[in-house]
Amino acid sequence: MNVPAIQAQLLTKEYSNGRGCRDVTITVEKGEAFGFLGPNGAGKSTFVKMLAGLIRPTSGSAALFGHPIGTLAAKSKIGYLPELYRYQEWLSGEEVVRLHARLCNIEKSVADRRIPELLKEVGLGLRGRDRVKHYSKGMQQRLGLACALVNDPELVFLDEPSSALDPIGRMEVRTILERLKQRGITIFLNSHLLEDVEVLCDRMALLNNGEILRHGKVSEILNKRTSWHFKVGGFSPFLLSWLKNHTGLQISQAALDKNQDEEGIIVSSAIEGSTVWLEAEVESDEQVGWLNSLMIEQGLTLYEVSRKKERLEEWFLDAVSGLSHRGEQE
Amino acid sequence: MRTILGMTWKELLRKKVMLMTLVMTAVFLIAFWFVAAIVGSSESGRATSIMNGSNLIESFTTGTFILTMGFFFGAFVIAFLAIFSSFSSIAGEAEQGIMQALLPRPLPRWKWYLGRWLGYVTLGIFYAFLLFAAILLIADAHASIPRDSAALIKAFLLFASLVPLLISLSMLGSGLFSALGNGVFMTMLYGAGWLGGMIDKMSSSLGLKEEAIHTLHNLTGIMSLLMPADGLQQKMTAELFSLKDLGGMVNMSTSSFPLLDFNSVPSDSFVVYAVLYTVVVFAIGLLRFQRKDL
Repeated sequence: MNVPAIQAQLLTKEYSNGRGCRDVTITVEKGEAFGFLGPNGAGKSTFVKMLAGLIRPTSGSAALFGHPIGTLAAKSKIGYLPELYRYQEWLSGEEVVRLHARLCNIEKSVADRRIPELLKEVGLGLRGRDRVKHYSKGMQQRLGLACALVNDPELVFLDEPSSALDPIGRMEVRTILERLKQRGITIFLNSHLLEDVEVLCDRMALLNNGEILRHGKVSEILNKRTSWHFKVGGFSPFLLSWLKNHTGLQISQAALDKNQDEEGIIVSSAIEGSTVWLEAEVESDEQVGWLNSLMIEQGLTLYEVSRKKERLEEWFLDAVSGLSHRGEQE
Repeated sequence: MRTILGMTWKELLRKKVMLMTLVMTAVFLIAFWFVAAIVGSSESGRATSIMNGSNLIESFTTGTFILTMGFFFGAFVIAFLAIFSSFSSIAGEAEQGIMQALLPRPLPRWKWYLGRWLGYVTLGIFYAFLLFAAILLIADAHASIPRDSAALIKAFLLFASLVPLLISLSMLGSGLFSALGNGVFMTMLYGAGWLGGMIDKMSSSLGLKEEAIHTLHNLTGIMSLLMPADGLQQKMTAELFSLKDLGGMVNMSTSSFPLLDFNSVPSDSFVVYAVLYTVVVFAIGLLRFQRKDL
């Protein structure tokens, strides 16, 4: 029987101040990378803490690989990188990872081999011998990742894994996560860095005010609209009218710098002289080829053609705009 | 659990809690040596090689006084070491986020709690033993001290019982209050217990009416039930000097021993109460931690 990595059924945690999350039902399959998004204070960390066994649910149920959350069997399969955490500053980084290895009942010989490899993988290397009190926040985050992975978990919960890292660090963490995904490890990613979710995750859910607002496959969300961009030379407004009439497609001048006024109308289109970007909404890739040939037939110079993907950030803002969300206020 | 116990030892050693305590203890013991020397040298007949009965009792009385002073201070040190080593064990680590990284590991929470408790208690008792032995040796160098091994063992167990009592209470408080709040709570509670003991000792020499003394005793009784540390300390001194067996041979009036009231030594039932108190407080703290949201 194929047991899901995470199965949460109406999982609820209610605090007296009205915060927490309500009736969250999700299923994450083994080997899947799942992105959990939402504005600050939406209840994402509360949900993850329940799954990690740090918080007791008010109602509902959840299981990890078929084991009820909070049980030792469930805990033995996970690695968890909390959002707000510190490690024992009186230990060295290596000692912290070793402590986690001992708590996971990992044999000493295995730990001796694995810990230096992990420290190298997360970019700490020999700095692992330094006391944690000398670590920057970014180094602590790398250490947290090493601790989360020390037991070679089947499922990792990562709550903002790159928030304190510089761009190089973020890229390194993303590479590590991609490697984990390739190894079939299930990833549950809480992140404000939507680019990470976009690149890494197969599916995602959006939480607002403690409730799931939307969920779905990342690829479907990002490719909902199929628009293409064409960079053309020798352009004239007459040719644009001709293309629209001849093809019956929605074609307009576009600006890739995304400079838009308040009504969302593209105001910057010219690149230089008669070279412009055109944007066309098409139904199939064949129509793109047809448009290419028509443009060349009409004497336009075609410099570049690319598919326009809706960015996750736009989707996120669109999803939460106009809704009340409690944010981090009372 | 052994991992958590080892982590706690390492924490106390690396944070230099034990080092600072040992350094300050060495300073105290040096001062105590000189005080004991002065008190001991004032005793007549101390220098004679063969003591008569009167000299023996006088030397024993001096030894009692020196030991009483030493253990009075020693109890404070033990209490503050127990309180300040453990007052932030839960709240502090939860506030810092250390616990959020550790507790998702496959370790039952009771093992974490027990490991921490054992770590603090074993180091505290080890320190209590060193202090107990040092105070006895210094007093022995300047006066006569009790040599009955049964009495010494009983006295040490009572002296060291402060450690599990205060650590159980401190860890319970740490699960209920913030780290700072628990530090204040524990200090105030210990202070209240100590004050109750002092009032109890002094009330008979204040010349109060019997009714007022009765009311005071009721109040101090409640205080010592809430914080039995001072009562245990009284009992420890009584056991050390085997007061029951002395039968009035030694003058131990309140004017001679202002830090002790040998007339109101807690009963054995009080010791049983203190043990049960420790067990119940430990159990409540453990249950509370089992259900705590982090």
